[in-house]
Amino acid sequence: MSEHGNTALTIKEAYEQDNDKGLKFLRPHFAEEKFPAVQIAGYIGSLVLTFAAYFLVMNHVLPPAALLAIILALAVFQAGLQLGVFMHLKESRGLAWQLIPLYLVFLIALGMVGMSIWIMLFKSGVS
Amino acid sequence: MPSFVSYLIHTLFPPSVRLPDILLIDVGLVFGIIGIVVFLTKTGRWGSLWRDWLTTVDHKKIAVMYLIAALLMLFRGGVDALMIRAQLAAPGAHFMPASQYDEVFTTHGTIMIFFMAMPFIFALFNAVVPLMIGARDVAFPRLNAMSYWLFAMGAALFNVSFIIGGSPNAGWTAYPPYTGLAYNPGPGENYYFLALLIAGLGTTMTGINFLVTTIRMRAPGMTLMKMPMFVWSTMVTSALILFAFPPLTVALAMSLFDRLFGSSFFTLAHGGMPMMYVNLFWLFGHPEVYILVIPLFGVFSEVVATYSRKALFGYPLMVVSILAIMFLSYGTWVHHFFTMGAGPGVNAFFGLSTMLIAIPTGVKIFNWIFTMWGGRIQMTTAMLYQLAFIPTFVIGGATGVLLAVVPADYQFHNSYFLIAHFHNVIIGGTVFGLLSALYYWWPKMFGMKLNERQGRWAFWLFFIGFWVTFTPQYFLGLKGMTRRIYTYPAGFGWHQLNVISTVGALIMGAAFVVLVYNIVWSLRFGERDLTGDPWDGRTLEWALPSPVPEYNFARIPVVHERDAWWAMKQRGQSLAGSLRAEDVHDVEMPKNTPIPFLIGVSFFVMGFGMTFKWWPIAIIGFIGVILCLLFSGFDYDDHHHLKADVIRNTEASLGRLQG
Repeated sequence: MSEHGNTALTIKEAYEQDNDKGLKFLRPHFAEEKFPAVQIAGYIGSLVLTFAAYFLVMNHVLPPAALLAIILALAVFQAGLQLGVFMHLKESRGLAWQLIPLYLVFLIALGMVGMSIWIMLFKSGVS
Repeated sequence: MPSFVSYLIHTLFPPSVRLPDILLIDVGLVFGIIGIVVFLTKTGRWGSLWRDWLTTVDHKKIAVMYLIAALLMLFRGGVDALMIRAQLAAPGAHFMPASQYDEVFTTHGTIMIFFMAMPFIFALFNAVVPLMIGARDVAFPRLNAMSYWLFAMGAALFNVSFIIGGSPNAGWTAYPPYTGLAYNPGPGENYYFLALLIAGLGTTMTGINFLVTTIRMRAPGMTLMKMPMFVWSTMVTSALILFAFPPLTVALAMSLFDRLFGSSFFTLAHGGMPMMYVNLFWLFGHPEVYILVIPLFGVFSEVVATYSRKALFGYPLMVVSILAIMFLSYGTWVHHFFTMGAGPGVNAFFGLSTMLIAIPTGVKIFNWIFTMWGGRIQMTTAMLYQLAFIPTFVIGGATGVLLAVVPADYQFHNSYFLIAHFHNVIIGGTVFGLLSALYYWWPKMFGMKLNERQGRWAFWLFFIGFWVTFTPQYFLGLKGMTRRIYTYPAGFGWHQLNVISTVGALIMGAAFVVLVYNIVWSLRFGERDLTGDPWDGRTLEWALPSPVPEYNFARIPVVHERDAWWAMKQRGQSLAGSLRAEDVHDVEMPKNTPIPFLIGVSFFVMGFGMTFKWWPIAIIGFIGVILCLLFSGFDYDDHHHLKADVIRNTEASLGRLQG
């Protein structure tokens, strides 16, 4: 049996040891409410934003260019709302791992959208 | 009433599914289903089927179900391939009608990619990733079961198409306008879009699940740079899935809207943009080919290290190159449609980015070779696949670089040269890897080895059959034969090469038969794995008994170095030897639940209703989905405690408890 022989810990014990060292932030802390008011408000808000876009487009209230700009703005706003409310953007235990893929998502999404526009510019005479 | 019956018969059984071979299959299926029902009833196994399989959330059992589904689909896709090769064996042949040929090559491609390779990869993820990282299950066990049932029901929906209503026939890429309602009024393409949407939902959830599992569930001490390479590849693949599947989902949903609700996203009329579908599809499609191959890079990294009895050469470089591949794979998708004519700037950019990917891939190839260098190599079946993979994949990659040269691509595009190239990388990379993994991890999954002698037969037949099939196709492509061609006249010089290719396909078919024989024989007579470590492995899954008990680890191990189990063995330790009765505590385990299965069935009903635009049925399915989600959301009784005594007894019966 070597020096490592008796260091096996349960996860719980590992947390307790960490707390002794002052690493309190490693302790689980998740937002917990009695009634999920924020989530329900977020859900209704998302629905309102979606239906707003739908009715704006179906009733042709504005010229197409303005409509596009407005529904794009509504979409970005809704994406932010859902990330904040449902995707636990701010909750974490230690390092907020969820933010790393999120930055990657922004990078890749920008690349995808930007390059798609670049690629599809050719099509003026096609469709 | 008779008009309703005739409507039903006309809709569900149009002439395209009343071909003699399909009718024969119908009869076979009816007898098969009756046989299964009688068997289950007579042996009284309905209860055990429900308790042990349909409602399970255990990652090891889900892995087995994925594996069975993948092997079944390999059979289905393989039969399609043999039908294609039979049709093309002679000039002017009419082995089957042209319309059926379209359906066969479409289902061959779709099934092999989405319903064979993907579930096979998920079978490996489920079977070993939690064991490798020292976890008791994946991060979200119930979501994991839901992923499986969504995949299974998507696959089922896709597979009923050829007996009810007619198969999709627009190729596995389903480009508009081939899929446009005006040109393709049957239900086939609806089946395609709905099946892929349902299965794709499951795949996305698998991506989320394994990303969180590999990040959050690792045993204490296992830092990122101490993870086994297969876990790295799982993490990277999951990230690829997470970012690549949304464009596919969007493209499929928009195509479906065009067909069902009269929108004009991709139609030729009303300002639709058909090429936008192509753009979105390959936005997904190119990362997808890396989703298909990166897990197998991980498998080969494990296999080569184990059977060379050496640590993987250049581990940090392997990690960097796998991440580079992940990142670069998002910037190459236009090479699938250079001939769209997007202009020299776009084509040059994507041609160069494609060639760039060859660099990290080359690094990995060299690292595998250097791992073998000076090692004591054991020529097991899994290692044979690894050795076959390296030259095969290098040649496939090299022809890929040829295709990335834009002016040359205008010649190669959609010819059999392309067909030969992507089979060269997908079979040479993915399928060789899957079979290697099958032989490598089979003892861990089922508790016995696959017979090596039979395995070598299957390997050599498969390897030789592969090259005999696809080498002629490169030359056919250079001679001008295009893909998806139904038949060709004599005198083009294509006949001999096509005959050789068909012979190769038959050899590969024989290899599949030997593989199935090998599995069935080994399940009955195979050498039992009593140690849990038959290959003298390096990673933590080999520290456990085979098959692995429900709770995986009686005590979560602490990891100090890469190749943790190898290091423990070097120190003369084992997880079993140091396990004292007082170290065993109660374990919190996820509880079985019928919700994932029921939600899968609901999605199937909804998909079937939407395929035929039978809205009441679709709404019933949709309500089922909502009810399942509601019930699941308020079901707090989702776990139970496995008592320490039960674990102690199990460990003692395996001889793993001290004292």
